[in-house]
This record gives sequence, C-alpha cells and structure tokens, in this order.
Amino acid sequence: MGAAVRIEVTAQIADRRLEKWTREAREYLDVPLTAIEEAKVYRIAPAASARNLSASVKTVFGDPVLQAVSFAGAEQALKGPEPSFVAEISYRPGVTDNPARSAEEALALTGCPSEVASGSLYFLFGQVNEVGAKKVARELLANELIQKIEVWPYKEFVKLKRFDGVKMPKAVFAHPPKAEEISLDLDDAGLEKLSKERVLALTLPELKHIQGYYRRPDVIAERAKHGLPAQPTDVEVEVFAQTWSEHCKHKIFAAKIDYTGPEGKALEIDSLYKTYIKRATKEIEKERGLDWLISVFSDNAGIVRFDDQVDLCIKVETHNSPSALDPYGGALTGILGVNRDILGCGLGARPIANTDVFCFAPPSMPAREEEDYMPVGPKPPRRILEGVHKGVEDGGNKSGIPTVNGAFFFDRDYAGKPLVFVGTVGVMPPKLPNSRDSSEKKLSVGDRIMMVGGAIGADGIHGATFSSLELDENAPATAVQIGDPLTQKRMADFLLEARDMGLYAAITDNGAGGLSSSVGEMAQMSGGAALDLAKCPVKYPGLSPWELMVSESQERMTVAVHPSKKTDFLELAKRRGVAATDIGAFDDSGFLTVLYQDKLVGRLDLGFLHNSLPQMQLKAEWKEPQPRAAWSATTQLTGKRKPAPAKLQDILFALLSSPNITSKEKWVRAYDHEVQASTHVKPFTGAASDGPSDAGVIWLKPHGGQSGNGVAVSCGMAPRMSLCDPYRMAQFAVDEAVRNAVVAGGDPDKICLLDNFCWPDPVVSAKNPNGAYKLGQLVRTSQGLYDICKAYGAPLVSGKDSMKNDFRGKDKRGVDINVSCLPTLMVTAMAQVPVAATVGSSFRAAGDLIYLVGLKGALGLAGSEFATLFDAPDDRGPAINPERNIALYRKLHQSLKMGHIRSAHDVSEGGLLVAVAESMIGGRLGASLYIADAHDVLFNEAPGRIIVSVSPDKKAAFEQGFKGQECHLIGHVGGDEKLSLAGQGDILLSDIISAWKKGF
Amino acid sequence: MSAKPSFLVLSGDGINCERETAFALEYAGAAPKIIHVNDLIAAPETLKSADGLAIPGGFSFGDELGSGQILALKIRHKLGDKFFKMVEGKKPVIGICNGFQVLVKLGLLPYPDAEERILALAPNESGGFINRWVGLNVDPQSVCLWTQGLEKPTIELPIRHGEGRIAFNHGEEEKHYQALVQQGLIPLTYTEDVNGSYGRIAALTDPSGMVLGLMPHPEAFIFKETYKTPGARDIAKGDGALIFENIMRIMKGEESSYERRTG
Repeated sequence: MGAAVRIEVTAQIADRRLEKWTREAREYLDVPLTAIEEAKVYRIAPAASARNLSASVKTVFGDPVLQAVSFAGAEQALKGPEPSFVAEISYRPGVTDNPARSAEEALALTGCPSEVASGSLYFLFGQVNEVGAKKVARELLANELIQKIEVWPYKEFVKLKRFDGVKMPKAVFAHPPKAEEISLDLDDAGLEKLSKERVLALTLPELKHIQGYYRRPDVIAERAKHGLPAQPTDVEVEVFAQTWSEHCKHKIFAAKIDYTGPEGKALEIDSLYKTYIKRATKEIEKERGLDWLISVFSDNAGIVRFDDQVDLCIKVETHNSPSALDPYGGALTGILGVNRDILGCGLGARPIANTDVFCFAPPSMPAREEEDYMPVGPKPPRRILEGVHKGVEDGGNKSGIPTVNGAFFFDRDYAGKPLVFVGTVGVMPPKLPNSRDSSEKKLSVGDRIMMVGGAIGADGIHGATFSSLELDENAPATAVQIGDPLTQKRMADFLLEARDMGLYAAITDNGAGGLSSSVGEMAQMSGGAALDLAKCPVKYPGLSPWELMVSESQERMTVAVHPSKKTDFLELAKRRGVAATDIGAFDDSGFLTVLYQDKLVGRLDLGFLHNSLPQMQLKAEWKEPQPRAAWSATTQLTGKRKPAPAKLQDILFALLSSPNITSKEKWVRAYDHEVQASTHVKPFTGAASDGPSDAGVIWLKPHGGQSGNGVAVSCGMAPRMSLCDPYRMAQFAVDEAVRNAVVAGGDPDKICLLDNFCWPDPVVSAKNPNGAYKLGQLVRTSQGLYDICKAYGAPLVSGKDSMKNDFRGKDKRGVDINVSCLPTLMVTAMAQVPVAATVGSSFRAAGDLIYLVGLKGALGLAGSEFATLFDAPDDRGPAINPERNIALYRKLHQSLKMGHIRSAHDVSEGGLLVAVAESMIGGRLGASLYIADAHDVLFNEAPGRIIVSVSPDKKAAFEQGFKGQECHLIGHVGGDEKLSLAGQGDILLSDIISAWKKGF
Repeated sequence: MSAKPSFLVLSGDGINCERETAFALEYAGAAPKIIHVNDLIAAPETLKSADGLAIPGGFSFGDELGSGQILALKIRHKLGDKFFKMVEGKKPVIGICNGFQVLVKLGLLPYPDAEERILALAPNESGGFINRWVGLNVDPQSVCLWTQGLEKPTIELPIRHGEGRIAFNHGEEEKHYQALVQQGLIPLTYTEDVNGSYGRIAALTDPSGMVLGLMPHPEAFIFKETYKTPGARDIAKGDGALIFENIMRIMKGEESSYERRTG
C-alpha cells in the first residue's frame, strides 16, 4: 500500500443546499452566517498495484465543467472575504461510506485500486464564533453519532499540514474475536443488570426461563457431549435476546390479557393478534368465500391475487428508533429493509411501489419559549423531517421504486420518537418458469446457506433489542446505520434473475436480528442448520462471533441453494458484482449449530428457541378517556387554543395552511413517483398538476398484469381520535384508508388491509404507572379494528407493531420527562382498480354538480384539525356507521365504473370545506355551496364522506344510483374562480391556493 | 433493415429504467434486449450485431461523484473503442436521464469529435431532485432523427432528476449555445424554466442526428394510462411513443434520410 493522499474537490457551480443551510443557521440557530462553501474531501490509500494515481484521481473525481480537484487545498478556490471558521466532517470508522465505496470501484476501473474515505469541508463565512461554528456543524452539517466533526478558526486551519501523513479510518475493537461464556448463575438483580448492560431487552421471567433451561440435567449432559460450557455462550444469549425481542416476537400482541372495559365487565383475551387480527381475516375469508388470499400472516409480506397474471404482495414496517437518532440513515434503512421483505416474500417479488407515512412533531416546534422543554437526545423536529425525507428520497429513487402514496401527520407528542412507516408493494408471477409456485418457500436438508449482498460490520448491532426499548440519552451508536442503495439494487437485480433461473429453493431477508433471525427462522423448515460465522464476509476484522450472528448490517439476504445449483448461483452472483458466500447447510438435527473457525460457539435447541417462551400475562383497563399527558408546562394544550376567527375565510385559510393540511408538494416531488412507468394516479393531479390525490394507483400491465387492471395503495389514521375513544380511532383509520382507495377507483369488494400499531409502552411498571390504560387503549383499538374489518369484509393481510414509542429522559433544563407518542394505528389499504374508472380528485368543469356522499350536518368537532387550532365545543367526536359506509362505497364504485362521476375526493383533515377547496385547487375552478355555514357542519371530520362532482347530463343516472342513500346535492362547480357560500362573502380561489401552498 | 430492429438496453450497476425502456421499444416495433453492462463487457461483439442502443435512466453507481460519472468511466475503460465505434457507426443511440448524463460524460454529446467538453449536466437550480411533468418544444429544424418530423410541435413528458441543468463552460455560454442552435443540435427545449437549464435545453443530439440524449422520460409516457392526470379518456397514445415510433419508422426505411445517413 502506498502513502495515503488527500484531495479536496470543489464545485464550479453554486450549490443551493448551502444557501439553504446558511439561511437556516441564521433563522433557527441564531448564528449570523453569511455563506457556506463546501469542498468534498477524499482520503485515498492506493494499493501496491496502483498506477498513475494523480491521473486516475483527476479522471475519477474531476469534471471539466463541474468540479475541480485540488491536491493543495480547497481554500485556494475561495473567492471574496476570508471565512471565519472551517468544519471538517468525516465518517466514524466502520460507518457505511457510499461515496467512498463508489470511488473505490471507479479508481479500480482506471487501474488504480485504492482504499478511500470520504468527507466534507465547510468554510463558514460571517461573524461567527467557535460556539456558533460548532452549533452549525452539529445541528446542520453532521450527525455526531455517525460522523466526526472537527472545527478550526480559518487562520489555524490553513496552517494545518493536512496533506501530509494522511491517515485512513480504521475500526478498532477492544475485545478479541472469540466467544465468551456468560454465567446465568445470578440472582434477580444480577440477571437484570446483565440484560441492561448487554442491551438484551429481556424481562426477568424470560431470563429465568433461560436460566432454568441451562440448569436442566439433560441439557447439561448434551452440552458436555459437544464440548460446550454448561453456561450459555454469548452467541446463545444474544440469539435468545434477538429471537425473543418484542420487535421480532410481538409478545404483547401474543399476551394473555385481563381486560376491563367501559361496561366494567372483565374479559380474558388470549392474544390480541389471534383474537382480533388473525380471526378477522380467517372469518372474512370463509364468510365471503375469498379466493384471492394467497398467503397471509405467514411470510415476510401478505400475498393477494387481484390479477390473473401477477400476484401482489405488500408489507409496511416502522423504523422509529433508528430515525429518532439518525433520521436520514433510519429512514433510508427502513425503506431498503421493507424492500427486502418484498424481495424475500415467497420466492422473491419485485418491488413496484413504496408508500410512506410520517408522524412527527410540528416542523415549527420548538417555538422560542418551548426550547428549554424539549427532550435531550432526539433531533429537533425540523431536522427529523428533513433527514427522514432525504432518506426516503434516496431509498426509493436510487432503488428505482416509485413512491406513490404517503402522508405527514404532525402532533407534539411525536417529539420523543417520530413514527416512520415505510411500505412496499411487490409483484410476482403466480408460477415461476420452472412451474414452482412463487409464493411457496421450500428447502431441503443439505441445502446450502448462502449469505448474499453486503458484508457484516458492527453497524446495526442490537437493532432489534434496542427498538424494543424506550429511548433515553444513552442509545448505542451501533444501532444506527446508513443504507447502501446501490449494493441492494445490484443484489435485487441478481436475485430476481436467479429466481427465474430456478437457482434457489428459499429466501428470506436479513432484517432485525441479522443471521440469528434469518437462518434461525429458515432452519425451522428443515429442522436445523449449521453455519460457520468465520466464513461471512466482513467490512473489517475483529468482530466477535456474537456480533457476526446478530449484526443487522444492511443489504443482505439469506438464501437456501440446492448443492447442485451452488456453482451456477455463485457464478451468476460473480457476474453481477454481488457478494454471495456459502456459510453452512440446513439439516434436521433439531438445533441451530453455530461455529466460528470450525469451533462450536453455540448450539440452540430450535424447539426451545421458537416454541417455549411463556406467554406474557398483562392487565388492561379502559373505562373512559383520560386527558392527554402533558410532558411539559408549555406544551399543554388546554387553555392555549384561541377562539376561531369571525370570518369564515380566515378559518379556512388557517386550516389550509396548517402543517397537517397544507400542500406537501415541495417534499413529495423530491420522490420519484413514476419510475417503472406504471403510475396511473400520481400524488398530484388536476389542471395544474397540484391537486392532492387520495391514493396512488399502479397500472399492472407494465408488470405483466391484465391491461385494464391496476392497484390502489392508500392509508388512513386518526391518532387524535384515540383521545376520545381508541375503538373509533381504529374504525376511522380503516374507513379513511378504504375510502381513499375507493375514491381513487378501488373496488370495495377487492380490498385488503395492513395494520401498523405504534404504541406507547403498554406494560405496567414502576416507571410506567398507567401502562394498563395504554394496554386498554390497545385492546379497544384491536376490537374496533376487528369489527370494522368484518363490516367492510376487508381482510388484514399483514401488519406490524412497535410498542415502546416513548422517550424517558431529561429536557434541556435537566428535568425528568416522559414523552409518549399518541397511540397510533396506521392502516394501509390495497385495492384492485379498473383503470378505466379512475377520475381523480379535481373538479373538471364549471356547471358540474357537487354532491356530498355521506352524512351532512353537525357531526362533532372533537379530534378535528379545527379543534386543534381553535377553541371548539367539547363534544365526543363524530360517530361511525360502518355498514352504511361500505354500502355507499359500493354504490360509488358502480357510479365510477358507469362513468357518472367526474371527480371524487375524500373528506378528511379539515372537513368538508377543505375537501371542496382542494378539489377547486386541482381543477382551478370555483364552487358555489348551498349549505349552512356553522363550524361543526363545515369543519367536522366525520368518516364515511366523499365530495363528488357530476356532469349535469349524468344527474339523473347518478342520483338513481344513490337512491335511498345518504347523498346530498350541496352545490355546483363555478367558472368564476371563487368559493361562494350562502350568507358569506366570496373567497377567492387565488387566496385559497396561496393559503394551501404555504407549506413548511 | 429487418422487420424488427434489434436494440440493446443496458442494465445493471444501479440503472433502473431498463424494463420500461425495453417495453417502449417493443411497443414501437423494435426487438429490444436487456443486457447487463457486465455481460456486454464480457461479450462486446454484441454491440456490433445490434441495430441500436439505449442507455436508460436510473442512478448508476448511486450517482456518487456526479451522476453518470462512474458508468461513463466503466464504459470508457472496459468497452472503450468498441463502444465508440458503435456510436460512430451511425446506429441510433438514446440516453435517457442518467443515460444522457453518461453520454455527456463520455463526450459523445453534443460533439463526439471535440477535444474538450463544452457543457455538463449540473445539479438543478433548485438544489434537489424533482419529479414533475413538463412541456417540450420540438425543434423542427433539428438534425435529430429521433424527433425529425414528429407529429406534434410540443409534447408532454415527465422529468425525474436532480442533475439535469445544462451548464456551459463558464464565460462561453452564449457562444456555445448559439452554435448548438444553429447546427440544430437542440431537439427539445422546455416550454418553461424547470431546472435552470441554459436556453431551457432538455435534449441534445450529435451532428449525425443519430444520438439523442434527453432528461425527460419518453418511456414513461407510451400509454394514456400513465398520463400526468387520471381520467384522460381522449388520448390515443402517449407523446413518448411518438419518439420511439419515429426512429423505428426511419430505421425500417420508411424515411429516406436514415438510408442516406447510414448508407
């Protein structure tokens, strides 16, 4: 290896990001920057065989028009006054460095193989002091969990000999890479201490269950026979912790719950999951005789058949804890992770669409007076928003998967942990070329275990256990990681090719728990597996066996390959530039056998590992709603709301520009929503392509489906309704998701649902005294979900829960605080769409009639956006009638198919008047409404309602279709660009547009 | 020319629009073949036997070090002359979005014979990636065979890029721009400013008119089902289809100019 060199690359063209950061430093951080200039830094250590380093470097990093390479210092390219400070940002050792990985490939192509590390230099201009410079670096330019920050006054920086003696980052481990024995001969306190220190997230009964196992004479004898210590190895303890983590095992949803409801009656529930979720689907499948559920609850994703020629699978995940610490990396790995669920569904599906939903604290938070009350640890809301957004952008765009649907929901109670829901739809042919069912995984004894994709590093160790804990200030840095979309894209292309060539027998993703969970789960199919961890490719040496076993390093899949296909499989991987390694074989020993350099380091009884865990016993109670917990004096809601303005238009403008309603176009257009050329309904439509859509619709023909066929993906949630009644929250969420799909053309009789629960800690403990109430909310939510799924005949096909969405720590004043998220059920709907029936959400022509499908009148303002902004009557919120709603949706679908309707848009956040305003914006048309102007008529957010417009010549046919149903003519579309309401002055469309487009 | 001209469609290393590009070519009457860049490197003679080449959109090498930068290096170092010969052999070549960036980085657009590049595709004026639909004026005077005689004077297509702004060598912008205009090398311009591109340039061709590089995605609008807004009942086919059909018409000899130029 030759001496390492350092280069600095400067852009020749102004970078707008830097202008934005400069502005934000002034506005949000009170640092008087006037400008920021950036130079990329690369440290390059050429291999012995490298030739012509400087020529190579110029070709690889330079561009005759765009960027200049400097071997002597980027400051020479600076113009104007001298900067005051310089910040250098570099990745911490071992953190995924994508620019460096690509640069290494590029240098190798030019005959100059090298090791590379990347970073950035920021020159800060203006009257900045050291404190200000550091603040800018920490809060705007870098994340200290994954990056190293160095700040110098400019005058000192230029004197540094930074181009001499250049050092490469090296990951160094304090421990030797071997397995250790862990004694469980401890008292209760000792066991709990062990769990906390090792981030095992195991409860005392679980630890004692393991302790008891290792005390069994038969176990002791069996272990002695194999030369294993009587006490477990660290590999074994870690495998238990990952496999039994709340994240992987969903213990709370499987628990036995002693529940007392509002009627005071006690109810014993044996698993919420079995009782309310799985049972709903099984009953619906049977009662409706559904023939389109191909695989539910058993695989990485649910699989349905909405098309004769392709099957669809769908999965929605959450990535909350990682996104709280590193919003960009957390969201990016979330997207790539759920993509892998699809790649690992059945024998592998092709991802065709992403959907993402964020629940954050408002981007304007904290106001000046709130600053001291913010939790220490989580990033500020605006940074989380921007980081997560960028992560979703890179995750989808760089993978070539369109982001077609999503939502932003803001509430202060997400300031402790943001909720980041990421979902993916995939397609697979029902049968593969070798006529195997693509939905069926089947492996045999003797099949090789192949690890495919990226190498293992320390990044992502303890992700599963860490996310099963509440956040505090001491989150482990290794739980954070950055994704590598290029490596994953190459792997995905390769795997789909290998699938069609019949080169593998089974596949699953490496997500939470790493190899421990992927091999551990696949081993159940054959009855055992043995692997040698030393064979796994690593990012750097020094990792212990247990770290290799549980690391969640990204971009990896585990594949079972028949020995006869091994050569072909490895050869194809090589041709595609994808790492694939034979690490062991499946067997029928009944054990998961773990070796390291041929030496036994762990042997786990699969029966004990997967089927012995005692059911949790929990108490739950929900009698009436409790007031929202105030986590700081200034964030209390009560007493803060102002009376609604006297003029209707001021209320409307306030609603339209509130973060929950305002246009997200600026954010959403950064996501590629059309790659793969099959997006039929895009996020924004209408005359000026800026009216909001209710769902994304993918046309299936380009994916091998029938030519008139499509699929809608939509979402719904109503977290604030949990403060009124969690039962209704579930029903509102399902209703909104279904309604969004139906207005976008979805067939209400061919619709499947996914449930994603994100809850505050629902287990009673000393630090969580009202756990029983939160579990009571969970029970009521599950009951509401079951009932409405049955009423709608919509089966749940997949779901996930995340249970500890709390922050317990200190605020900026040092006071102990607890910030718990609102109990949140996010429902995703996927529906079959006849694409000829879609109309969009925007008004089409002046003179068209406007109908409100659903109930009209004063229906209750509680839980609405209006009631969040303004003082509102303390009612119990709107009711819901699922039977009536689904009947209306079936009628609506018929009318759409018959061409009676010109636009359809759901009534959601903001209520009726906001929905009409949105259809006006999309159509660039006015509207006259003949409807009462009472607040609780115009702004309630009652479910089951849709605004449609109908051409006058279709009036009779349309009304005939809705005969006897709740369907009200409420106005007509106007040619003059204003909104007119009986008894109120006109509101100009242009003002409506500017209020709605205020953004954030 | 055979009934169905064969087209190679490049894939791999982060390219991600190969399937729809092949679908569009097939729709227009070509016989497309998706080929992984590594397979092409292993069997470069494939280039000789193909009638045309498409470099689709995507994020080759994750867009690191500048979009198109590393894929261009890979083509230059691993295929080299064989690749340049194909292009000089006057076979139709289309580079879409990232493929356009690759062609520019390779120096094949707009002047394949120039010593020094005069322009680049720089980060958008807005500083970020944008997906939206744009209007495009078709220059009827352009030498570009892909757009020559297109039925419509303006077309609509989506753009989806973060680095699509044409930027010329500093200080020589107007000189280079005027030359391109006069030589008919700018087949498409945006009807409004969408990314800060100089002269609203959306596409470039080379003096032979065989090579088309464009930022908008014609392969994303072949059918009315993927138009910008749903419910468009009166569209027969997408504007993107016109571009692919146009080159097919020319390749199949329905237009004499192709024979003249290649003959």
